Formats: sequence, C-alpha cells, structure tokens
Amino acid sequence: MQANRRQIFAALLAAAAARQIKAADGIAIPGKRPMILHNDRPEDLETPVKYFDSWVTPVDAFFVRQHLPRPAAIDPAAYRLNLTGLVSKPLEVTLADLEKLPQHTVPATLECTGNGRAFFTPKLPGIQWGRGAVGNAEWSGPRLSDVLALAGIDPAAKFLEIDGADTPVMQTPDFVRSMPMEKAMHPATLLALKMNGQSPDIHGLPARLIVPGWDGTSWVKWVVRLTPVAKESGGFFMNPGYRYPKYHLPPGTPARPAELEVIEGMPVKSTLTAPEDQSKAALGPMTIRGFAWAGENAIERVEVSTDGGARWQSAQLSPRKLPFAWRLFTLDWTPSEPGYYTIMSRATDTAGRVQPIVPPWNPSGYLWNGIDRVGVTVEKA
Amino acid sequence: MMRTALWLPGLLLAFALAATAADQATVEKGRKEEQRTCLPCHSLRIIHSNRLNRAGWNKELDKMAGWGTKFTDRDALLEYLGATYGDDKPVTPPEMSADGRSKQ
Repeated sequence: MQANRRQIFAALLAAAAARQIKAADGIAIPGKRPMILHNDRPEDLETPVKYFDSWVTPVDAFFVRQHLPRPAAIDPAAYRLNLTGLVSKPLEVTLADLEKLPQHTVPATLECTGNGRAFFTPKLPGIQWGRGAVGNAEWSGPRLSDVLALAGIDPAAKFLEIDGADTPVMQTPDFVRSMPMEKAMHPATLLALKMNGQSPDIHGLPARLIVPGWDGTSWVKWVVRLTPVAKESGGFFMNPGYRYPKYHLPPGTPARPAELEVIEGMPVKSTLTAPEDQSKAALGPMTIRGFAWAGENAIERVEVSTDGGARWQSAQLSPRKLPFAWRLFTLDWTPSEPGYYTIMSRATDTAGRVQPIVPPWNPSGYLWNGIDRVGVTVEKA
Repeated sequence: MMRTALWLPGLLLAFALAATAADQATVEKGRKEEQRTCLPCHSLRIIHSNRLNRAGWNKELDKMAGWGTKFTDRDALLEYLGATYGDDKPVTPPEMSADGRSKQ
C-alpha cells in the first residue's frame, strides 16, 4: 500500500529518537518476553529455544519478522479489505463481513524462510537467525476461498496477489506477494482474524494470511488488498527476493538469476530444545526434547542420537499427526558416564523426506534444515 | 648501505603509522556516514550482526542505493564496514530485549 512518504519519514525519525532513549536501559517490545533482538526498528525477534515447551507457542514468545516499518495499529472498525483485479465485482469488505463468513481453525507452524541462516558456511547477508524463527499457533478465520467468493473470481485468474498495510520507506519496494490460485483456494488457507484466540498487531492481525506448509514470506500480514491476476507478480519480494536455486550451487558462488525459483512449501526439519546447547547436566536421567515439522506433510518419525550420530533411536512423538503443524518429541536418556555428549535429531516426514546432514547452501541462506545438534557436558552429581 | 639499513625500517614504520591513521580517520568517517544514511530507515543491529567480505558489503550498499539511500561518502562507509564487520571478524551474539509483557 502506498502512503505519504514525508509522513512516514517523520514518523520514523520520531520513533528513532524515542528508541534511542529506551536503548539505554534496554529495549522492551510491548507484549513480548525477553527475545533475541536481531533488530528493533523494525522489530525482528527470535524466540530463545528454552521458551519452546508447548505445542502451541504463546503469542508473547512468538518470533517476529518485518521487512518494513510496522504500520499503525489498525482500528477494527476502520479496517477495509479491497478485492480487485480479475473479479466479477470489485468489493470493499469490512472486518464484520469477514467475521460473518464460516470460521475455521488451522494449527500450523510458521517458519521464517531464513530460519537457521547463521548456520550456513560461507556466511550470507541477512538476519542471522539461529533456531528460533519458528512457532506453532492456532490460526482462526474465514477460508481465503470464501473471502474471494464474495467478489467472484474470473476463471482467467491463475495467481492471487496480496498486499499488506505496511508501506515502503524512501524507495524500498512494497511488500507484495503472489501465490498460485490453487494454493489460495486450498481449504486450509485462511485469512486469520485470530492467533491463539488473540489479535496481536505485531503478528499482522486483524487480518493475516495463513498459508500452511509454506514459508513465512507467503503469510502476508495486515492484508488490505487481494487481487486475482493472470500472471505471477513481479515485485522485489517475489523476484529476486525469496527465490531458491533450481539446481544446487557450490557454496559461496553467485546466484544464477535465470535458475532461481519461487519457494513453495518447506522441507522436513527438527529442532532440539533441551538440553540447551553447551549446557551442563548432572549425571542421571534426563529428557531430550524438541519439535519437528515438514511443510505440507506430517511428521512420521524423529530419531535421536546421543553419540554424535553413530547410533540412532526413535523418539516419542506428541499424538496429533497433522499436516502443517509440528509434533513435539521426547527421549528419556540416562548417560552411563560423565563427559561431553553431542546430541542430534533427525526427522522423517509422511512423504519419506529425511533431514540431511548438509543442507544445500544457497545465496540467500534459505531453508536451513540440517540434522540438529547440541552439546551437553554431563558431570558427576 | 649501513645508513640505509638504519633508516629504512623507520621510514616503513612511519608509512605504516600514517596508513593506519588514514584508515582510522576513514573508518570514523564511515561510522558517521552509517549514522546519517542507515538510521533513518532501520536500526543498526541488522547491519552489525553480519560478517561479509568487502564485495559482500559493496553489494549491500548497491541494494540500499537502489532503494533511495543517498551516500555522500560511500568509500568511507565501505572501508568502515569491511574493517569492523568483515568476514574475518568474530561473530558477536545478539542482545536480548527486556521483558515487554507489562507494556501492551
């Protein structure tokens, strides 16, 4: 969405001045526990793995990724969604209109496309996310297909273009995305009005796109325009942004622009949350914990190794075996003697995909899904 | 020959010191350029967490120039970024934010 550039600039400078005062005694993000602060303006926050102790990630612990300054909180009464483009009749929809449509709840794992970028070698520009740019929430709202049906979709539409209320700064590109109409019409694709029953502005409410199984970039926040179009949109955040090489490249080599593809879906992945990496533990029984997810598939199996990957055993999985949503895993373990242990986790999904030891290096550092690994020093009690 | 052997190391040291001083002045200019050109749009953490070689930093500056950043001393900024946040520099872990739960 375009806005008055001068107004934005003035607001930014005022925000910068305010932040500099707060920075002296630490920056607090309203509504959030202490988070790993990759950036404060705009907010880019990572969840420390020790917060991941439940199937649903609480809003106050959920990671935040923003490309552009967060728009002013949207007054629910003033909210308008514009349905334009290849539709039978262009329409302006209110929040009340959206609330009248049948409401659905989809539990789904949301992961930043660049989660784990910091683990790639050689290093890549961008936010140096570790393990915590991911979370699992219960998203509720109307199906996107029901929203689009209000305006009627022209059969010539092959893609859906989505724009959020965030606006460019200076000459940065606007955050506009598109996706194939087939995914837009999928019954699990929602325009969420609630996240875990709440409406947190920082997470894109009152209306955020939920694209289960796809990378976070597709989950446009503060959706204010839906436009069925004949061709894929071409803005920066579609090309060259958020593309992945069709063929793997030697690490450290430049992208081949003609061979970059839009990311659709996500790989299989697991993350260890306990013990904490490089922590100490007393000799005795302990529980190894983590979570695993697989884009549009469900998790079939998670194996854990406590000896650096020589031997593996199956972990216990939480009961709900759903597409789109993660499963928690645990393995009770009693080390036989003190010393340093390398613990690893390896997930397999319902399509038979397995986490690799070495994920493909790619020029933007996307989709890290290497077998996870933490070290723990076990000491005599 | 003997005299040359005596003054040559001193001369080299003088050159080295002059070069370092020049670099430090450039780096300081670059730091100011960063404040002036980067801060209007975003905080600096997103820059300082990266470790890139000079070509990598140059590419980032190209991107920002394309997005409307008007550099007055781009060379100094590149010198500063390369010297301070080069790919040979150790990674520093990000800070934690303070608890914001009471500030809704």
